[in-house]
Amino acid sequence: MTRRYVGERVRRNEDHRLLTGHALFVDDVQLPGMLHAAFLRSDHAHALLRGVDVSAALERPGVVAVYTAEDLGDYWCPGPLLVPPPPVEGIVFHEATQVPLAKDKVRHVGEPVAMVVAENRYVAEDALADIVVDYEPLDAVVDLEAALAEGSALVHERFGTNMAARVVQRHGDYRRARDAADVVIARRFLYDRGAAAAMENRAVAAVWDPLGVDLTVWDTTQAPIPIRNGLARMLGLLESQVRVVAPFVGGGFGPKIMMFYPEELLVPWAAMRLGRPVKWTEDRQENFFATTQERGQVHEAEMALDRDGRILGIHDTFLHDCGAYDPYGLTIPINSQCTLLGPYDVPAYHSEFRAVFTNKTIVTPVRGAGRQHGVFVMERLLDIAARELGMDPVEIRRRNYLGAELFPKNFDILYQDFAPLYYDSGNYLPALETAVRMIGYDQLREEQLRLRAEGRRVGVGVVSYIEGTGIGPYEGARVTVDPSGRVRVATGLGTQGQGHYTAFAQIVAEALDVDVERVHVVTGDTREFGWGTGTFASRGAVVAGSACHAAAVKVREKILAMAARVLGAAEEQIDLADGRVAVRGVPERSLSLGELASHANPLRGAVKPGTEPGLEATAYFGPDHGSTASGVHAMVVEVDPETAMVEILRYVVVHDCGRLINPQLVEGQVQGGVAHGIGNAFYEKLVYDEQGQLQNASFMDYLLPTAMDVPRVEMAHMETPAPMNPLGLKGVGEAGAIPAGAAFAQAVEDALSDLGVEITEIPLSPDQLWQLIRAAPGAPLPHLQEARR
Amino acid sequence: MIVDGEHVFPGPREVVWALLQDPEVLSKAMPGAAKLALVGDGAYEGSIRVGVGPVTAAEWKLSVTLEDRVAPEHYVMQVDSKGPIGFTRGSATVDLAEADGGGATRMRYHADLQVGGKVAGVGQRLIDQVAKMMTQRGLNALGGELERRLAEGA
Repeated sequence: MTRRYVGERVRRNEDHRLLTGHALFVDDVQLPGMLHAAFLRSDHAHALLRGVDVSAALERPGVVAVYTAEDLGDYWCPGPLLVPPPPVEGIVFHEATQVPLAKDKVRHVGEPVAMVVAENRYVAEDALADIVVDYEPLDAVVDLEAALAEGSALVHERFGTNMAARVVQRHGDYRRARDAADVVIARRFLYDRGAAAAMENRAVAAVWDPLGVDLTVWDTTQAPIPIRNGLARMLGLLESQVRVVAPFVGGGFGPKIMMFYPEELLVPWAAMRLGRPVKWTEDRQENFFATTQERGQVHEAEMALDRDGRILGIHDTFLHDCGAYDPYGLTIPINSQCTLLGPYDVPAYHSEFRAVFTNKTIVTPVRGAGRQHGVFVMERLLDIAARELGMDPVEIRRRNYLGAELFPKNFDILYQDFAPLYYDSGNYLPALETAVRMIGYDQLREEQLRLRAEGRRVGVGVVSYIEGTGIGPYEGARVTVDPSGRVRVATGLGTQGQGHYTAFAQIVAEALDVDVERVHVVTGDTREFGWGTGTFASRGAVVAGSACHAAAVKVREKILAMAARVLGAAEEQIDLADGRVAVRGVPERSLSLGELASHANPLRGAVKPGTEPGLEATAYFGPDHGSTASGVHAMVVEVDPETAMVEILRYVVVHDCGRLINPQLVEGQVQGGVAHGIGNAFYEKLVYDEQGQLQNASFMDYLLPTAMDVPRVEMAHMETPAPMNPLGLKGVGEAGAIPAGAAFAQAVEDALSDLGVEITEIPLSPDQLWQLIRAAPGAPLPHLQEARR
Repeated sequence: MIVDGEHVFPGPREVVWALLQDPEVLSKAMPGAAKLALVGDGAYEGSIRVGVGPVTAAEWKLSVTLEDRVAPEHYVMQVDSKGPIGFTRGSATVDLAEADGGGATRMRYHADLQVGGKVAGVGQRLIDQVAKMMTQRGLNALGGELERRLAEGA
């Protein structure tokens, strides 16, 4: 093999199409006779639905159909439970999945009540205003603790409680650890909700072809194959009669997973029923209410340590907000539970959570998917413990890392893939030391004092995390050498900007020794590839990438066998290089791969028994365990105690996602993740009032960090290859977002150390930080003291 | 949302009381070309047109019921309004006291209103201002009407 692509900074294959406007997004789909849908959504967080009168809407010119729950007949049923509860002993789980249109009751603001289909969106939206809904408002369930209190209103009456689930997982004996401890740190930590805020909102377009007897659906989903399978089942069609295409998608971040959102079910149904194409594109307003969100948790956590700062045990009890329904099972709180342990050696662990139904938008994974919470709790406890013990925060981490000799490491608790938590590999200390060196930790400590004397408050935060990535069940890929000599790769994942077209092309180009620009990747079209699960859990590159590799290896074997036959030489004598096969030492006996592909698909003669036509192969990859990525984030901030504005001066990430396919793609993922994490730490918070009304449902009031607020991340890569897959890959899609809040809290606290500010809540806003500074026990500035009185 | 305040009308309490119960006067006092009709004892129905910041002006259906009426000093207004962009509902307590030796009337009002739907999500930072502005305009209109009546009566 002469070409090296895996690990190289190959230019992104997809950018030409994206930058020249030739990339198809769902909203670009325009078909003759297309109708447009709009949804009437509940204004109430919790109300009985007494009646929906659509008669006036039906009379409006241009309206083709109006549907309520009653009109759906048998098609009305609660959505599928996407992730069943894990087989943890003693688990309680109450299943309540979302419905296509509310029937007796609405359970969050934005829940769809009726669907209008009209000649255009303007008419459809106007017709929404014609619909009269008779609501009988109920008390809304908003606060997690109040939701579990006696006498609370109930989101789902049939359970007699708002508790959606209860799970206890443990290893070791925490009580003994606590008894033996020199120091016990106990705190309450809050993590609040944010939006995924993808650049592209959701969209669905569908057309039913009565002659071909098939349904085509364009959907912004991250998981087109499960959506195809579900739609086929619900619509009474064969899977082969449904084609779901997830074309270019402007960001997924989790909420575009195989949710079976009401709109995803109703647009195809209406297209079949009406015999005309139907399209719906979510507007930003709807997105704030109707697209899933994440991150509300309340933790009561305790860490027991010895006087040398070694962790003896951790006890954590938390509440998890799952919103109005729980279609995604317990993935998020299980991730929180497992990820809390991080790269540290925790001999005793007791973790217990209750998931809670509330009258708020449904919660499903958003980039990080519960891992943030675990990391935040662990890292904050370590910071506070270090302070109590008079120890440097970096040193306390050093003392608690799992040693590189301990891998693979098995745990007794179950992870989100239902397998016991398992760290396949890792090497944590070198990453920490690299980060400390890169950020200039020791110099910073000196400089900090000098700046403090000048009245400037600069702080540094250094945190670490691990991320279970690349879980099964499986993905597949088909690799085909076209007679043109170009290579085609098809896989079932959806792609939302990660660079799959490039990463998979690199893997295949290296295995087949062809020019990477001659490899064309197709993702997200079930007609191209119909087996697989989807893009989530930082698994695309690992699982589908490994499948691409396996398929390419098979094609390589076919190439060598076919070339040996056509060129009349032994397989061992065939060289494959630069898109050509040749008999070694006889360069004139050679063929291009395109010519060989034509030989492999003859019009006369016979394909030999035991062989197949074409230079094509399909392969699958399903790991028993995921692979464990890890990293260290270090940041330097300056805090203005008068305005509580925080400026991030530097941000360093040392990341280990195993072997890199393309450093540039990895850096893009990390930079984007950090931006997401910074937003989550300081800007983005969905504010609900006590009646479950979202108060900041627009980008005027919901703050996303801008380019001005996100520093260019300085990055270093460690490569600890994953043993579970042939290329040694680990996932990176979520990594950047996971520890940013913890790093931010440590750095801000450090900057304000003389005031004694302690941060136990994320997201922090300038306003909240100002309140903390004002209430700090230390000596605030004189005029702030004034304000305190 | 809490709307709370005090206003002094330059007229006797009985006249102010009558004014506050008159649907025609009330509809003039409501901004946005309100229509309001008495549909039962102390029950009014109608519509108003209001926009909040980025939310385009839209027609809201309005129903107001007066309860706990103790003429001429106290009543509670139950307000329920619905529009394509959301709803507001809640109650307002109004107390009238004689002032200035009976020549004027001091009105204290306290409204606790729930705002829901799109208007809550998008208009939040403006809702309080809009409510204040609407209240002020309403009070000014009522004041104008009172002066007219007093002048006619004189």
